[in-house]
Parts: sequence; C-alpha cells; structure tokens
Amino acid sequence: MKEYAQNKLWIVGTTVPALLFLTLMAYLPITYAVALSFFKKSAFSPTMSWTGLKNYFLLLREADLWAALGRSTFFTVGSVAVQIVWGLGVALLLNRTFRGQTFVRSLFILPYLLPTIVVALVFQWLLNQEYGVLNQILLQIGLFRQPINFIGGLKTAMYSVIGVASWQYGSFVALMVLARLQAIPAKLYEAARVCGAGSVRCFWDVTLPNLRTTLLLLALLRGIWMFNKFDIIYLVTRGGPLKATETLPIYAYRLAFEEFDFGLAAGVCTFMFLVLLIGSVIYFKLFDPTKEIEVGR
Amino acid sequence: MKRKKGSLGRSELTRRAFLKVAGATGAGALGFQILIPKARGARKDQIVFVSEESNPKAIAVYEKINADFERNTGIKVVMEYPGFANIHKRVATLIAAGTPPEIVWYGAGQAMNLALEDQLAEVGDVIKEVGGIPDSLRMIYKGADRSIPTSQQFTYCWYRKDLYQQKGLLPFKSWEEFLHVAKTLNNPPTLYGCIVPSAETGASTILLETLFMSNDVHWFEWNPSKRQYEVALDKGENKKRAIETLDYLYELHKYSPEASTYNWAELMSTFVTEKAATSYYVGARLLEQVMANNARIADVTMPLAFPKRLTDHYFLSIQGFHILRQSNVEGAKQYCKFFLKHPDCIKWYHAVPLHIIPASREVLLSSRYQDHPVIQKRMDVLRFLDAIWGRGVPLYYWDGKELNSLIGLYHNDNLGGWMVAMRNIKGMKSDTIVDEAANQIRKKMQKMG
Repeated sequence: MKEYAQNKLWIVGTTVPALLFLTLMAYLPITYAVALSFFKKSAFSPTMSWTGLKNYFLLLREADLWAALGRSTFFTVGSVAVQIVWGLGVALLLNRTFRGQTFVRSLFILPYLLPTIVVALVFQWLLNQEYGVLNQILLQIGLFRQPINFIGGLKTAMYSVIGVASWQYGSFVALMVLARLQAIPAKLYEAARVCGAGSVRCFWDVTLPNLRTTLLLLALLRGIWMFNKFDIIYLVTRGGPLKATETLPIYAYRLAFEEFDFGLAAGVCTFMFLVLLIGSVIYFKLFDPTKEIEVGR
Repeated sequence: MKRKKGSLGRSELTRRAFLKVAGATGAGALGFQILIPKARGARKDQIVFVSEESNPKAIAVYEKINADFERNTGIKVVMEYPGFANIHKRVATLIAAGTPPEIVWYGAGQAMNLALEDQLAEVGDVIKEVGGIPDSLRMIYKGADRSIPTSQQFTYCWYRKDLYQQKGLLPFKSWEEFLHVAKTLNNPPTLYGCIVPSAETGASTILLETLFMSNDVHWFEWNPSKRQYEVALDKGENKKRAIETLDYLYELHKYSPEASTYNWAELMSTFVTEKAATSYYVGARLLEQVMANNARIADVTMPLAFPKRLTDHYFLSIQGFHILRQSNVEGAKQYCKFFLKHPDCIKWYHAVPLHIIPASREVLLSSRYQDHPVIQKRMDVLRFLDAIWGRGVPLYYWDGKELNSLIGLYHNDNLGGWMVAMRNIKGMKSDTIVDEAANQIRKKMQKMG
C-alpha cells in the first residue's frame, strides 16, 4: 500500500511540473487569446468589456477576412508545393556520391539556418525595382525594357513572397527527404534494374513510393507552418501593395497593432486556429499518415 | 523516509515538500504578476520615457540631460526607444498592460488617440512655465492643453539644382510647372522626374494631405449647430477638388518610379542615389542623408516649397512631450520643464541640423541655434524655412478652428496613401475612391459610436 502511494506520488510529482509548465506557457495564453475574442478590448485602455459573439459577427461580415483567408490558402498551397518540388529535387541531387558532398550538403541547408530578417533584406535588395540585381540582369540581357516591380507589383508580390519563403524553407524539406532517401535499401534499386527499369522508372516505382510517407507528413507540417507564417511576408512586403499579400496572420496583426482592436484580432487568431483544425481533420481523414507510416516501414 | 542508496532520489519527494515547492512556485508567479504594474507608473522615484527618437546624437543628449535630472531631483529616467514605426504600438501595449509610461515624445497628431481615450494629463501649467507657445501649435482637448510642443517639421520638396539648370528649368511654383519639370527630366530607368509614393504608407499619406491642403480640400467640416465635425470629403466642390488632386497625382506618377512600396527611406534613397530629380520629406533628414552618403550632390540639393494651387499651406508635424494621466504626473512635469530649460536642449535640436525645428521662431533665429557648422553652411535652408514659417497647418486644425479629434480616422490608418495607391497602382477612378474613402471614415465613426 505504501509502495503504491509512493509510486502515485512519484507519478504526480513528475507529471505536475510539466503540466504546470505547459499550462503556463501554452494553454493559458491560448485560452486567454480565445477568451479575448469575446471582449471589446482597445489597446489604449487596460479595461475590457464583454461582447459575446459580436466580434465574430463583425469579422464574418468583413470582406477583408475572406480575402485574407484566400491569400493565406494561396500562399500556403503555393509555397508548400514549391518547397516540396524544390526540396525533393535538391535531395535527389545531394543523395548522389560526389567529392565535397558534405560541404555542398551544408550549403543547401544554409538558407534554413539564416535569420528571417537577413533573408528578407537580401531579397528586398535582390528584387528591388531600381537597384535590384535581378532587374539589372533582365535589363542587360534585353529580356525587358523596364524593370519589374517584383515586390511592389499587384500581380507579382504574392509570387515573390512565395519564392522567397520557398527558398528559405525548401532546405528543410530537402533535409528530411534526404534522410529518408538514404534509408531506402539499395537492393530495391538493384531488383528494379534487374527487371530492366531505367532511372525514371526507378524514381516512380521505388523512390517515390518510399518517400510518400515523408512527403505527406512534410506537406502537413509545412502547410500548418506556412499558414501561420507571419515574419517573412511582413518583412518583405508588410502585406502590401494594397493588401495583395495580406494573409490571415498579417490581418490579425493589422487589427491588433494598427487599428488597436485586440478583441477583433484575437477573433481572427481563433478563426485561423479553427481553419487549421478543420484542415487537419480533413487531411487525416484523406491520407491517414499513421497508416502510411505503418506501410512505409 | 530515508533515501535509498543509488536511487533517483524519489524517496525525498514527500507530500509536504511537493506542496512547498508548488506553493512557492504559485506565490512566485502571482507575486510577479502583482509586481509588474507596480514596477511602472506608481513609483515616485522613477519615470518611464518612451521616445520616437532613434538618432544616436539625440539619444546622447537625452542621456546627459537625464543624468543631470537624476542628480538634481533623485528621480531616475528609464528611456525606451522603440523607433518611429513602433512607438504607437509600444505605448498602446504599455497602456493595455496597465503600466502606462510617464512621458511619450512623438507627433501630437498621433498623441490625439491618447487624448481621445482620456489618457493624457493636462499640461497647461508646464507650457506656461516654459514661456508659452503659439496658438497654432497647441493641442487642446476638453478645454485643456494635452501636448507640450518641443519642435516642428515642415513638409517640402528637395530638388537637384544642377539637373534643373541643365534643362533650363526653374524651380516650380504651380502644379502645372511641377508636372512640366517632372516630364522634362524624366528618363527612366536612369532618372525619374519626381517621386509619387503610391502605397499605404505615411509618406504617401502626407503627400496627399499636403496636396489636399494646397487645393483646399477638406476631410471634415464643422457643424456649428451640432458642435461637431462631419465628413465633407465627398461633398460638392470639396469632392471635385479631391478628385482633381488625385488625378493630378496620377499624371505626376507617370514620371515617377511605380513606388508602390515606398515610404520615407525610399524617398531619401532614390534621391541620394541620383535616381530622382525631385523628392520631398518632412524636414531636412533627406539633406543629411545626401551629405552623409553622396556629398557630391549635397550643394546642389535645394529646398523648395510644394507648388501652390488654391492655398500655400502644407502638412505641419508637431512633436512634443505627452504625459500619461495615470502615471507619475508630477515627476513627468518636473522632467519636461527641466529638459526644456536645460542648456543642452539646443544640442538636441542640432542632432539632425535643420530637421527638427524649434517650436519657437525666436530660437530658430537665435545665434545659439545657428551656431552649428551645417546650419552655417546651409543658411539658405534656414532662410527657406523662415520664409515658409507659419504656412504649415497641423492636421487637427485644417478643417476648422475647433480641434478636430477625428483626424486619426484617416491619418493614422494611412487612408490618403490608400487613395493614392488605388488611383495610381490599381487604376480605380478618383470619383469612386473619394466616395469609398469618405464611407470608410463614416464607418469608423459609427464603430466608435
């Protein structure tokens, strides 16, 4: 009995601090943010007043919210697709044996290690309309007569941001895919070649099925991360021009720190959370990655 | 319970020990929460001063004056420099957290939001003690002064005298002349005739607000019977002039970079790198940047007033000390008086010479202000500033003699910049833009109740 009590105390004693930490650091702020969405809270006053669902009614009627949701979806789908294609391509190249392999591999990982502000500033200069290297090259080779406003153009800004984000985060995909590629048994390729398969057939019939699990998980993880992505978009375009790159996180930021309405901003954040939750449930229903992992073993 | 040898020490964990640790952690967390608000505001031996300033020279002056203040009064000054772009957010966050700072130094127009939320203390006594200020610089809310003006900044153009002379052009005085000059000098992508930032930024907003002033366009009109301001942007002649102004900027934009991301930094860098023949700025920081980064064109960089249409007014920015009501008000007032009477205050004006202009004309014309190598070298700029002195109008007095507390509804959200961008970048008709802008303001008024 004493042993049982001691064990129980041990379990409680070791679990409670972790739970306490999680509660303080994660659940409490999330609960506070959700609760805030039911209040009217101006940034200039420490007091807040209960408004119930009013913030949500206001938000759901706001065209800006739906436009931002559309842009978030476009940015997420676009950047995840580019990252996966880019990451996969890089990983396939790096999976080969060549001299200086380690050095080249670390070079490809470098973008992921760079601080986002550095990436944003570098690309702002590279893509600048007046002084940008890319524009200089395009003008000098005679492809265009006038420089292109990559970051400030209504039609180009979103693609530019997708490009910058994919450049930075594609390395993460490359890293994960490379790790999985190295775990594919060589005998599978040997067997395929014995059956007369060329490089392309090997890729479709051996490599891709083995990568399926990794790619699905990467799509889910990167999808969530990119949907919540704030820093790179804000630093490159600040959501402009004319809201052309204003995704949901930037919309929430604008409401909180430019219109100083914390209640509405919290409403947008809760909305984002719900969208991601629904998206994840659908994703799990469609692809069931846990089952995939079993198959992938 | 004795500790077993070689065990992980779990026998040490008694219920009492666990409760002690949990209790101490809880009390610590609670105490931390309680202490935070008291760490700010309630203390009489300290004031928190949030300043828009980012210039190292000006910051050095603050440090010197603050040290003297602490020696004299025993009150410590804790400085925060969140920067021009972030100061509003920082102040709002501090107030929302229940720890308002004592003093905020930034634009009186921005501070209007604080006045509207009844956050600013009355400061008439401080103004009186430091010698008073002209009526045009006063920010009065609910019958009392809420701002202690320290300085002002005029909005005007900068042009390349050498390029103008090469083409036989004279400095423009009218809208038509400006357009002609911009067109004549335009040679993209090597050189643009002018810069018309077309983005939801401060630079774009102030350009439109200044040209609206020049064309006598008013956002609001005073209704004497209701004793309140009402939206006038989309009414009668006012609307016609607003449309005319937007269309004019659209024409001018043809001789400018697309500038759909431009703000203050781009106005300077495009001019400094010799990509534009004409730019503008609120103050002389542009000249300072030319001197620092491309001295070759410093002597041919000349100031010029915005072209006149119906009036010769321009956007006037007034900065000052603002004291938060729920803070150590007495300590803050003591500091403001000390700062403005301190002999080193003049060095603060010199931090960016000719950029931050003293609130008083007498100080501008005084030998101690003019005793600076850059000012001595560019006395033409000082004379120019003196020539346009008094033509500037703070936004909150543009629509009438009564202080317009509603300017934040269009100015703080960069509605002007949005209008210019919708015209120049998106190609929307000026008529629709003016209607939409007026509706946006009305919608915000309704939201305010």
